[in-house]
Amino acid sequence: MPSLSQFLLALVQALLLFAAAPLLSGILRVLRAKIHTRHGPGVLQDYRDILKLMKRQDVRPPAAGFAFRLMPIIMVATLLTIATGLPIFTRATPIAALGDLVTIIYLFALLRFFFSLAGLDSGSSFAGIGASRELTLGVLVEPMMLLSLFVAALLAGSTNVGAIGAAIAAGHIRSVGAVVLAGVAFAFAAYFELSKLPYDMAEAEQELQEGPLTEYSGPSLAFINWAMALKQLVVIAFFLAVFLPFGSATGLSLPALAIGLLVFILKVGLIIALISLVENSVARTRFRLTSQHTWLGVGIASLAFVFYLAGL
Amino acid sequence: MAPIQLLLVSVALSGLAALGSLLAGRSESSAIRIAGIGGLLAAVAGILAGASVLGGQVAVLDVPSPFPFAHFVLRLDPLSGLLLVVISALAAVVSIYSLAYVREYGGRGVGAMGFFLNLFVAAMILVVVADNALWFLVFFEMMTLASYFLVIFDQDAEAVSAGFIYFLMAHAGSMAIMAAFFLMANAAGGSFDFAAFRAAHPSEPVASIVFVLALLGFGTKAGMIPLHAWLPRAHPAAPSHASALMSGVMIKIGVFGILKVGVDLLGGGVMWWGILVLTFGVVTSVLAIIYALAERDIKRLLAYSSVENIGIILIGVGTGMIGLAVHQPLIAVLGLMAALYHLLNHAVFKGLLFLGAGSVVYRMHTKDMEKMGGLARTMPWTSLCFLLGAVAVAAIPPLNGFVSEWFTYQALFAAALGGTFLEQFASPIAATALAVTGALAVMCFVKAYGEIFSGASRSRHADQAHEVPAPMVVGMVVLALGCVGLGLAAPVVAPVIGSIAAATLHMPVVVFANGAAVMPGEAAHTSLSTPLIAILLIALAVLPVLISATFKAARAGARRAAAPWACGYLPDSHMAVSANSFAQPIRMFFAPLYAIRRTADTASDHIAHGFGELVAETRRSEPLFDRALVAPVAEAVGGIGHLLQRLQSGNFSTYCLYIVTALLILLLFTLR
Repeated sequence: MPSLSQFLLALVQALLLFAAAPLLSGILRVLRAKIHTRHGPGVLQDYRDILKLMKRQDVRPPAAGFAFRLMPIIMVATLLTIATGLPIFTRATPIAALGDLVTIIYLFALLRFFFSLAGLDSGSSFAGIGASRELTLGVLVEPMMLLSLFVAALLAGSTNVGAIGAAIAAGHIRSVGAVVLAGVAFAFAAYFELSKLPYDMAEAEQELQEGPLTEYSGPSLAFINWAMALKQLVVIAFFLAVFLPFGSATGLSLPALAIGLLVFILKVGLIIALISLVENSVARTRFRLTSQHTWLGVGIASLAFVFYLAGL
Repeated sequence: MAPIQLLLVSVALSGLAALGSLLAGRSESSAIRIAGIGGLLAAVAGILAGASVLGGQVAVLDVPSPFPFAHFVLRLDPLSGLLLVVISALAAVVSIYSLAYVREYGGRGVGAMGFFLNLFVAAMILVVVADNALWFLVFFEMMTLASYFLVIFDQDAEAVSAGFIYFLMAHAGSMAIMAAFFLMANAAGGSFDFAAFRAAHPSEPVASIVFVLALLGFGTKAGMIPLHAWLPRAHPAAPSHASALMSGVMIKIGVFGILKVGVDLLGGGVMWWGILVLTFGVVTSVLAIIYALAERDIKRLLAYSSVENIGIILIGVGTGMIGLAVHQPLIAVLGLMAALYHLLNHAVFKGLLFLGAGSVVYRMHTKDMEKMGGLARTMPWTSLCFLLGAVAVAAIPPLNGFVSEWFTYQALFAAALGGTFLEQFASPIAATALAVTGALAVMCFVKAYGEIFSGASRSRHADQAHEVPAPMVVGMVVLALGCVGLGLAAPVVAPVIGSIAAATLHMPVVVFANGAAVMPGEAAHTSLSTPLIAILLIALAVLPVLISATFKAARAGARRAAAPWACGYLPDSHMAVSANSFAQPIRMFFAPLYAIRRTADTASDHIAHGFGELVAETRRSEPLFDRALVAPVAEAVGGIGHLLQRLQSGNFSTYCLYIVTALLILLLFTLR
């Protein structure tokens, strides 16, 4: 069982991510505007949007039931739960009993379950198609994500995310090639989870009227937008914790945690700069061709597995 | 009472309930009550009997039987105790549910239905405790026949044809099992006692043949792909409470049989047995869930999902058998424990889902999901229970399906770290397949729940539906609580199942729990705490609720819009995503895997067609026999008759002539 300080750290890091999530999406918007050479809103625009939506009326379609109503809350709660389990500023997981890679992947499945169900529950055809696409992407990405993590876990000898990160940071890894390839495959899989161009299939704004979000309004929409930004931050943190753990705090002392926090911010900044470059230089992939991209990812993950077997 | 006596009481009560239901057939309400309450009492006794041996004791009953070569031996060990608890627990819930559900079948022989259902439960209980090959086969056959009569209960063309395929395949399977047992009996010096089988230790080639025969035979019962063809037809055809028992527990008897022969009787064997089981498990789980996704008949979807879960259980069994063969106790116990845990969990959530589907069909009178929709508003209890079952079967934390899949992953991980290359190669592939299965299961059950209970209603029946009677709700709620309980109480349940696995394998106990967390063995660097996940999910959900509440004064209350947005067109129910179109992307991306099924179906069509040809040929050869054999004989007899008729002309003088001639001949004889 986690000690009190570990438990506090877990809660603090989850709440920090929650508070910073709209900032992340704000920065991405500013970067997008810069690449388009236009002015665009400030970095705090998403906070203002959320505040405004909180004061707007909640309008629900006639067919909507409790799945539609509860989804925004479940989405936020699930992402916060994942955030408590990840090692973010530290090397080790604050709560070890939440930090298993299988647990984290299946908590994302909980999110996907209710996100898609709410799409069906709204009775809108756009939301229904968005739901179907969201789940299909899950099917296509899952093998890539699990196999790459499994290879890293085998090299580290544990399925705990913190233990994998610690082994990689310490260099206790038998085959470097395998871990690099696994990292590439996992980064690819994580990019799908960001719902960014070219893979924003489910929430495609122009194609599907934002898919499962079509019928949401008011505070519900505010929470979903907030949670989507939080999901991006959590996915980035997941990648950093496993494959780029360098610089995070090894102990629980305050100075170490402060340095860990700073390093985390730097790493996230670097990653979102990369994401912004990718998403603004490509067009959306045709949905029926997505499987070709995911097979490539599965191929990279399989290659990592072969490298692991060969010990390269 | 001693475990064995409780067991006998349970079987006797089942038998009495079966007979009582049959005798009271005229008065339908009393037949339903006798079958239901009798079944419930029998199930309670069964649960007590099973639970009392979970700790590790073994109870044996040996009575002389009419056959000198086949003692009537019953043996309750931890493994059969677990199966006994699973069978009895589901039978108890089904008995409660049947009190209201069976009224749907009024006027169509509910007495017989109660008879076959109770007989079916008693037969399953006797199969898992029988400790003699002959009696095992007798009870196995009894179980097959009782369930066959439940499958054909509707008596329509589909039910009869499904029943026929079930009958055919079940007996092909029994044949393989029989052959396996005869080979074992041969090796055991002619005795049919399982005790003699255990002591026999046949040579490796013989043991391998026995194991493969048993795997095929019991695999047919379990619905393992490619021997599954009967399952998605027979399970939906039976009444829903019988489908719950068939999918929830009967197919587990197949897994139990594989374990019984492979681990208990043959004691482990060689590594390729485990690899074979693992391969069957992987293929079964991935293919079955892909097929489930394409279904629009709710009960067929659930039946395919049962096949998928058998695959997941077999992955655990295979990993355990690999560990046993290479003498790695941790992998063996972990794999078997994951399999047994999933076996228990699947019985609970699949039972729940079939009862939920039964409730929906009870009101809708159709199994087609495209004609449902929006039932969450009119059937809130059914909807909530079905949702819990769907979340559990999709292996979503913190419910029970996730816990056993987590252990399956951990078993595969331990095997992947293990010594041999084959283990290192096969286990990560199996884990990846399990991940794909998990993602597909999520999609499948979002579709099932969403199409039935969410959105707008798509038919008149769906508009007018209302909640099912209390006994049916109680049955579903009990199982839904089971899903939550077996998930959250994992730190209590896991060690118990772990000790059953260790006792079955005769291996040291592995540490599975520490405080509120479960872990795969003492040395593992990972753990899982479902209670903690549940607490965090609930506690952190308070945050958005609070934030929303602080702005409540600033905004107008929620309102319902007139219609969902459809780009300015008037939306109608055909615009919403249907069960078919929802799964369309998967059908597109996995087209080759559906093509396999088409080929396989054509093959089974050929077999069915071939059987038809055989029947026709037999009919044609019947007259041939008539012409060649029967007709000439008949003609000859007739001809002789005609000749004899001429003797009796009826003329008095001719008769006098006969007498005189006879006298003359006698006179000549005496004179000589």
